[in-house]
Amino acid sequence: MSIVSELAVILLNGLQQGAIYVLLAVGLSIILGTLKFVNFAHGALYLVGTYAGLFIALDVTLSSGKLQEWGYGEFGLGWGFLAALILVPLFVFAVGLLMERFLARSFYDRPDTDQILVTFGLAIVVQELFRVLFGSNSLPFTQPEYILSVIPVSGPMQLPIVGSFPRWRLWVIAITAVLVGIVYLLVEHTDFGLVVRAGTRDAEMVRLLGIKISRPYLVVFGIGAALAGVAGVVGGPLNVVNPTVGMNILVPAFLTVVIGGVGTITGAVVGGLIIGLTQATLIGLPSVTIASFTLNFSPWSQVGLYAIAAIILLVRPQGIFGNEEVAP
Amino acid sequence: MSDRNTTGESSTKSDGGTVIADNTLVARWEEIREREATVVGVTAICVAIFPWLFSRAPVISDVLLGYQSLATLILIWGIFAVGFDLLLGYTGLLSFGHAAFWGGAAYAAGIVANTVSADPIVMVVAGTAFAVLLAWVLGFLSLRRGGIYFSILTLAFAQMLYYMSAAPLAFLTGGENGLTGISVTPLFGVFHLESDLPSVAGTLIGNWMYLFVGVIAVLSVAAAYRILNSPYGMVFRAIRENEQRAEFVGLNVWRYKLMAFIISGAFAGIAGSLFTIHGSYVPLQSLYWTESGEIVIMTVLGGTASLFGPILGAGLYLYVENIVSGVQQLTIPFTDIVLINDFGTYWHLLLGLVFLVVIWVAPRGIWGAVSDLRALVRRLAGGDRR
Repeated sequence: MSIVSELAVILLNGLQQGAIYVLLAVGLSIILGTLKFVNFAHGALYLVGTYAGLFIALDVTLSSGKLQEWGYGEFGLGWGFLAALILVPLFVFAVGLLMERFLARSFYDRPDTDQILVTFGLAIVVQELFRVLFGSNSLPFTQPEYILSVIPVSGPMQLPIVGSFPRWRLWVIAITAVLVGIVYLLVEHTDFGLVVRAGTRDAEMVRLLGIKISRPYLVVFGIGAALAGVAGVVGGPLNVVNPTVGMNILVPAFLTVVIGGVGTITGAVVGGLIIGLTQATLIGLPSVTIASFTLNFSPWSQVGLYAIAAIILLVRPQGIFGNEEVAP
Repeated sequence: MSDRNTTGESSTKSDGGTVIADNTLVARWEEIREREATVVGVTAICVAIFPWLFSRAPVISDVLLGYQSLATLILIWGIFAVGFDLLLGYTGLLSFGHAAFWGGAAYAAGIVANTVSADPIVMVVAGTAFAVLLAWVLGFLSLRRGGIYFSILTLAFAQMLYYMSAAPLAFLTGGENGLTGISVTPLFGVFHLESDLPSVAGTLIGNWMYLFVGVIAVLSVAAAYRILNSPYGMVFRAIRENEQRAEFVGLNVWRYKLMAFIISGAFAGIAGSLFTIHGSYVPLQSLYWTESGEIVIMTVLGGTASLFGPILGAGLYLYVENIVSGVQQLTIPFTDIVLINDFGTYWHLLLGLVFLVVIWVAPRGIWGAVSDLRALVRRLAGGDRR
């Protein structure tokens, strides 16, 4: 493999890794930007998305957990991956609406710390609920082979410069790009988006103009949740599936938001790409031997992500695309 | 004096005449309650009799099922919680990265023990010093952003330390296996920490380990009390109430916040080093964000913005984690009605639910309920005080 193709592989891997973070970060960022609500339970929505996707797409046999003890060890609809990709966002959207209506809304007027604590508590409850029901073992989420039994989505694919590359990863990038594009258009170029953005600036003024702001807020929360659900479905086959995935992905997702700047979709995309590329680069770089000392980069991949974040925040505390107005 | 005492005790169910006597007693207690000597003295007494009550007292310990080592652990986490509350409850900063100081100090103490000296005091000093330096650096970075960003950044930097000790620094930290092979030398070269204290002290306090941890715990409470009631600590509270106003008065808010963070990190460091001494082992888990989450839960459950609430929260959490979770069947006491089967599986879920409810309806935690009760009793007992 030539240097160019190796770099291209790293780039694509970075894009794919970043894509999952982008899906989560866009949701987090618009909720934080417009509703001023900190959602530590966003990872829990990812968790719900992953398990719901698994349940809809495949047949699963549980080896532990209460469901297995109660005799429901084999579950799943087995409707295929496309069904999961369509139904899960709808389901998590509904979960998001419930969460906004019954949890978030009563905390808009309370201090930030209370918001963080209550969503953190909710995240623990969801995680433990899944652990009790489905057991703490990792479940297999096999990659889908075909969508609509015609379009192949798994296996390697020959690309011009890159050479062979896992097809599913390209699909993750494509799905993310399309969804984020839709959300961007929705927020920036529709009347709905106008109301939302106006609410971000001055919610009271919007209310005085006779617009019921609570409904757009509800929808924004739902959209953010649905994106997290999609991230769970497309990311499920790439990562392990167990009750802790939600909390584990929350930290990089938040970091993405902080790097990119709160409330901007562009920021979330750029932040996600930076984090994804950093990680992929450190994993992909060959080890360097200086004298008798070998430096291997891949153990540093997780650390590098935080180091990059630290550097960016030292230079621009409000994030790359953030403006001081939004940031407190 | 003894006369007044007896009337005072019976006052609640007698006529108005004795209530006045009770009032003077209550008033006297109210007068000395806030004094530093009283706080430290009461703490010392409680710490001294706690292991006996918990693990050796005739009836109580049979019900509680406590043991000496858990009593020590509760004190260690109690120190951690006091320090954490200094930041969360009094300065109003919610850090999700205190595992960095707890775990960092634990590793520092362990590494010092393995390479330099395994004297308990040296370990505590080294661990705490490391935690303070770390808190300085992380505080400097995280406090660049206020509010929620502070929480996220502390969480992120603590996770960075976790991943560093997991792989790249595994030659120092032992990686996934944690740091092993720590053998703590006797205190002052004479007293083996695991051996029992002589005579009565042995029955009451137990071993040298508990005495060592207990003395540090009392000193920590005294230090926290002194800090909180000094003008310096007043500034922390002013920042919590209204940061902007504190800034306008001319205080350098950023510096005070950084200092609160460092002090809090120091407490976490003391506790973390003691944890290494107590367990002779540092698990990699001690740097993971779940430890930060645990200290948040303990502090909030116990009650923020109080000195003893967090200690209570720590004790309760560890008690449920280590003893109640082992009870497989939870029944209503003195009956055979089964509340929950297989409680060990559910306890974390139930804890999460309790935490959620506490945040939602009673953000002041258990200690808040205790002080409400105290206020109620005072009102009932001394309602006609003039």
